[in-house]
Amino acid sequence: MKFVIIGNGVAGTEAAIALRHRESDAQITIISEESDHFFSRTALMYILSGQLSHRDTEPYERDLYARMNFVRVRARALGVDTKGHQVRLAGGLDPVPYDRLLIACGSRPRPAPWPGSDQAGVGHFVTHQDLTWLERELHGGVSKAGPAPQADAHLAYSSPDSPYRVRPVAAELRGRLARTGAVIGGGLIGIEVVETMLAAGISPHFLIRERWFWPVAINQDESTWMAQRMREHGVHVHLQREVERFVVQDGAITAVRTVDGEDLPADVAVVTIGVLPNTDWLAESEIQRQQRGGAIVVGPDLRTSDPDVFAAGDCAAVEWFNGMRRPEQLWYTGRDQGRVAARSIMGDDVRYKRSHWYNSAKLMDIEYTTAGLVDFGFDDMWSWFLEETGTVRSTTRIVCRGQRVVGFNMLGRRWDHRVLIRWIAERRSLSWVLDRLQQAAFDTEFVPRLRIPDEKRRQATQPA
Amino acid sequence: MYAQGQNGLMSTWREHIRSRGLAAWILAAVMMGFYVDLYWFDHLEPLAQALGLRNRWFLYGGLYCVLMVVGGALYLRRHGNSRYNQIRISVNVLVQVLLAFTLPYVMPLLGGKEFYFSYFWPLKYDLLLPDTLSKLPLYLSIYALVGSLIAAPILAFFFGKRWYCSWICGCGALANTFGDPWRHLTSKSTRSWRFEQVSIYLVVALVIFMTAVAGLGGLVGDAHPGFVSFAGQTKHVYGFVVGSILSGVIGTGLYPLLGPRVWCRNFCPMAGLLGLTQKLGRFRIRVKDDMCISCGNCSAYCEMGIDVRSYAQSNLDFTRAACVGCGMCAHVCPRGVLRLENRWDLNADKDKQHLVVLDF
Ligand SMILES: Cc1cc2nc3c(=O)[nH]c(=O)nc-3n(C[C@H](O)[C@H](O)[C@H](O)COP(=O)(O)OP(=O)(O)OC[C@H]3O[C@@H](n4cnc5c(N)ncnc54)[C@H](O)[C@@H]3O)c2cc1C
Ligand code: SF4
Ligand code: SF4
Repeated sequence: MKFVIIGNGVAGTEAAIALRHRESDAQITIISEESDHFFSRTALMYILSGQLSHRDTEPYERDLYARMNFVRVRARALGVDTKGHQVRLAGGLDPVPYDRLLIACGSRPRPAPWPGSDQAGVGHFVTHQDLTWLERELHGGVSKAGPAPQADAHLAYSSPDSPYRVRPVAAELRGRLARTGAVIGGGLIGIEVVETMLAAGISPHFLIRERWFWPVAINQDESTWMAQRMREHGVHVHLQREVERFVVQDGAITAVRTVDGEDLPADVAVVTIGVLPNTDWLAESEIQRQQRGGAIVVGPDLRTSDPDVFAAGDCAAVEWFNGMRRPEQLWYTGRDQGRVAARSIMGDDVRYKRSHWYNSAKLMDIEYTTAGLVDFGFDDMWSWFLEETGTVRSTTRIVCRGQRVVGFNMLGRRWDHRVLIRWIAERRSLSWVLDRLQQAAFDTEFVPRLRIPDEKRRQATQPA
Repeated sequence: MYAQGQNGLMSTWREHIRSRGLAAWILAAVMMGFYVDLYWFDHLEPLAQALGLRNRWFLYGGLYCVLMVVGGALYLRRHGNSRYNQIRISVNVLVQVLLAFTLPYVMPLLGGKEFYFSYFWPLKYDLLLPDTLSKLPLYLSIYALVGSLIAAPILAFFFGKRWYCSWICGCGALANTFGDPWRHLTSKSTRSWRFEQVSIYLVVALVIFMTAVAGLGGLVGDAHPGFVSFAGQTKHVYGFVVGSILSGVIGTGLYPLLGPRVWCRNFCPMAGLLGLTQKLGRFRIRVKDDMCISCGNCSAYCEMGIDVRSYAQSNLDFTRAACVGCGMCAHVCPRGVLRLENRWDLNADKDKQHLVVLDF
């Protein structure tokens, strides 16, 4: 058997390991452009600030390929010839034949639509090459954590439209490091970049198109609370402001011009307006993709429209619990999908099931946990909300349908999502949950418990 | 100071002194030189006397206290620390300042004996020798015996070895305060783990052998002068190699290059024995299932070189003999995946069921 995997992110790597555990003789080839070793994309910000070395972010020892006997090709795939069962490569390399193919090519940043975005000083924060670019803009290069992995070793085997290319560096044109910065797009990656800029001594402008920060995850109360925290750290938060273009001087940007005509000074601008499935290179291949976005359509066994081709991770549109079909851009779901895809490839009758929604994040120094349904705009839902001040600063929001709890949105404290999810599945009532909330606490030892004032507890029985 | 705040990002690898730059090498050389001078020369005596201290060991003790207090304050500021670490580090520093410096200084002035309440066998390797015990007042010899042989293992069984290594011990106190900036330098390689497993239990065996031989030497007395001198030499060699070179010159001197727990991880016999008790006991680190993003912060900042991430990303609760319960893996984890705990209810795990399907 010849297995070929495109992508050595979490989905591709976990699939390869799962394949090897059962198929000790199969030939397993991993084609991936971005970097030599599997690293944790979620940890890019820590490498940038110098909190972690690149090696720290690699989940396995570097001898993985040798130990598992994987063939490793660092080049860009240009298409899949499904009839001839082979993958075409850039740079004049021979096509790679396969019996079964797994596509785990992840996401690419959504490009900036504004004039000037191709100039030096504008970039994204998704790939290893983006990291390299931003390290040069903010710090003049990598940290002292030993030799950095090569960001451009694959250039001869890539193509100009690849997201895995280092952007032009304004700091090098200008002859000095960035002193001002802007982050455009108020999501999770955006706030991560804001934090790394603060760590580099820059108080960035944070431009958010919506009425409040991160509207897909937190509501206005929570967001106002977050914005306060950000301002305490020196971030210039701009809500409901859109970009018109970048102001450019001698090939490098100097400011971001907003539609209302203000120039916000920025030596570097990081555009974090979301990610798209990284599948343009499949345009001419006969593998079905979604009209909008272009994610690869897969069935519950993660098989694509071609029976010998599978897809997993950020690039695959899987079915969600509510019947929607779209990619899950998450680390742990990518890992699970990679493992399920591997079993499916080996012929097991498996289904990938989107069972529950939960996530956690850290927004500057605030920890965030969510579980269940916290979407907004459902008429039949209401929220029980508690803000805590004192030695612990937190907010607790429990979303209910009538008396039944359907979701949790928590900032500032640690919670065990497994317990929260169980309560939701057991259809517990709000007052039942409030009486036992402490059982789901996951704070470190000695952190004072969350105290629920009496009048708040009384609200549990009367819908707001 | 908040009870649960992590600070923003650290710039660890962008600081020369924390990333094995020239400054780190110079500091390491100075510190090793200091220990050599302290142990085998008496250049520091005049300075000690000038400061009104009894001898150079109290000068060292005073310096130790200053480094712990200043380092401890910086440690809390650096990490914006959790309540656990605020309490832990304060207790540890306080215990050291009181029991390892002030009390031993004051006791002789009041006509008592200089005694260190915070040290037990086998870390203080000669504490249980007949020679030592017989010179102590009865209550102190009982304290030494009960503390070393009964209380320490029982506490480690219920709370993990952290009760000593991260709450009481002087080596731990210095490592977690003054030594904290270098905690990420502890090697996480499989090779270093193998080395540790051999070296630490070797020292445990040595200290037991040495205690037995020297103890016997004390008992047989003058009847077998050959054996007595052999026992004396064993103790002397152990003291030189383990007590001075490994714990001082190398253990502390190499902070800026190899991390602050070289001694605790590889050579301390107390840590070795308490670690075995911990393995059998109630302390563990609990992992929240399917929440780890494999970022590597926990492993990087584990001063004992434990690859915490390998457990976290596989949803495995764990207890490692080496773990000193410093709490930093849990603290730096950006997804709150880890929790240190002492299990009281052993049935609590039974409901660690897998996540259930939601239906709306
Ligand atoms: C800054 C940042 C922070 C994040 N934080 C979180 C978080 O906190 N929690 C969370 O759950 N998720 C987070 N995510 C999302 C998470 O990282 C992704 O969901 C996950 O990495 C997706 O893994 P993957 O294996 O599907 O794809 P990727 O990791 O994107 O891997 C795709 C691989 O495919 C290769 N490839 C692509 N196209 C080609 C081609 N044509 N030819 C050859 N090779 C190709 C590339 O080399 C690349 O390595 C974050 C993402 C970013 C960018
Ligand atoms: S595992 Fe965690 S608590 Fe134990 S020594 Fe390492 S960092 Fe400290
Ligand atoms: S720090 Fe937390 S999220 Fe990161 S690898 Fe460790 S357990 Fe996982």
